Amino acid sequence: MIQFEHVSFSYPDTPVLKDVCFHLEEGQFVGILGPNGGGKSTFLRLALGLLKPSSGTIKRTSKKISYIAQTTAISDTSFPATVEEVIALGLVDSKIRFDFAQKKKRVKEIMEEFQLTKYRKRLVNELSGGQLQRVKIAKALISQPALLVLDEPDAGMDEHAHENLVQVINQLHKKKTTILFVSHHPHDLEDADAIYFIEQGQILTYEAELERGHSHVDL
Amino acid sequence: MLTFKFMRIAFVVAILLGIAIPLVGSSAVYKRLSSSGDALAHSSLAGVAIGLAAGLNPLLISILTCIVSFFVIELLRKKFNKYSEVGVAVVLSAAIGIAGILSSYTSASNFDSYLFGSILLISDLELYITIILTVVIVLFSLVFYPQIFATLYSVNESKVSGIKVNLLTFIQDLLLSITIAIGAKIVGSLVVSSLVVLPTAIALQLKKGYKFTLIASVIFSVVAMIGGLTIAYYANLKPGATIVTLSVGLLLLMIVYHGIQMIIDKRKLNKEESQKSQE
Repeated sequence: MIQFEHVSFSYPDTPVLKDVCFHLEEGQFVGILGPNGGGKSTFLRLALGLLKPSSGTIKRTSKKISYIAQTTAISDTSFPATVEEVIALGLVDSKIRFDFAQKKKRVKEIMEEFQLTKYRKRLVNELSGGQLQRVKIAKALISQPALLVLDEPDAGMDEHAHENLVQVINQLHKKKTTILFVSHHPHDLEDADAIYFIEQGQILTYEAELERGHSHVDL
Repeated sequence: MLTFKFMRIAFVVAILLGIAIPLVGSSAVYKRLSSSGDALAHSSLAGVAIGLAAGLNPLLISILTCIVSFFVIELLRKKFNKYSEVGVAVVLSAAIGIAGILSSYTSASNFDSYLFGSILLISDLELYITIILTVVIVLFSLVFYPQIFATLYSVNESKVSGIKVNLLTFIQDLLLSITIAIGAKIVGSLVVSSLVVLPTAIALQLKKGYKFTLIASVIFSVVAMIGGLTIAYYANLKPGATIVTLSVGLLLLMIVYHGIQMIIDKRKLNKEESQKSQE
């Protein structure tokens, strides 16, 4: 679904990723761990096509991708958007559509699924961390994506919300949704098919990282 | 008041601009580009000065200057990165400098009409341009409403969804620049940038969602346009200045209303809590 072949990426004078090879197959759940500044976010931005590699090639076969970014406009401003409006954004792409009734029905269904119906008219910047997280996930899943990419979506979440998130991800994995999950918490990735560690611009398998004696990645 | 043809045209143009300005202005507010509006308004003045001094159509030159200025601001914003507001300050200073120097070569009354606007002296060309611009902005805002909203919510998530974010932003910037240039001629360079920001600022006080806030900002804008023009007619005031002062008045009223509402809600909550604890 995503293939990195000898990919390197540099910002002017600063190499970020060096000769990265990585394959994400359909239906796989792959976790990415690593310290801040190690190149995780750059890796993800390359995988999503938001950045172009300095050298090497990246192939993406899926176009139905949902992305939960680390931060959005709503998290640090008073941008006015209700829960219902934000979730409906998950159905927006470059096409102009007029199927308003169908869209409304789908939003209603997913709000019920994530127990967000009673908050539907509430502004998202007034929600708790856990509620906001549910909104972000509902927005990402409303389009039934083939690939779900999450960039540390658990920041600012309480323990209960965090557990819910992991549960949702594991359920999606069982339904064969391909998942690429960048996390700070190794135990989020207990059910992952493969875990990679990105540090100093290099990608290593979890096993290789353990061999290097990095006990902080113990699951 | 409406027996005069010039007043009827003035009201039509005021209503059209009242609709068009917040539709493009709200995105600028959410993208923290409010100060760019100020720089563009001054650029329009520089364009007018260039046009008048060179014997060309001042409105068309003003539109061109605004478009060029916007892209120069964007270029400087990227160049200065962390100090992105430097771009706005540079363009604003350059515009004031050019307008100041060239104003010596133009007739004072002509130049003043752009400084304070001339909604009562609208030419056929200005009327037609305003009608076309408003129709384009309304259609663009309706057709691309979901994409515009998605881009304001998250640029990266929108790009991943396949939305042509750069193209959309380019069109929005172009429409904002043209709107400010035309608005500057009609309500005045000194006040047009306020009209980009104020309707959205007033609507934001209602603490509602994106669609509601957008519609409310258009309503507030049209009310301020009609109200300001009417007051200016009967009190013999400058229309542009009256419209913007009325908008500021509306914003203050909304802030006070919101403050009172918060106090009432807080008291209600405290009362409920004390009742619960007594039970």
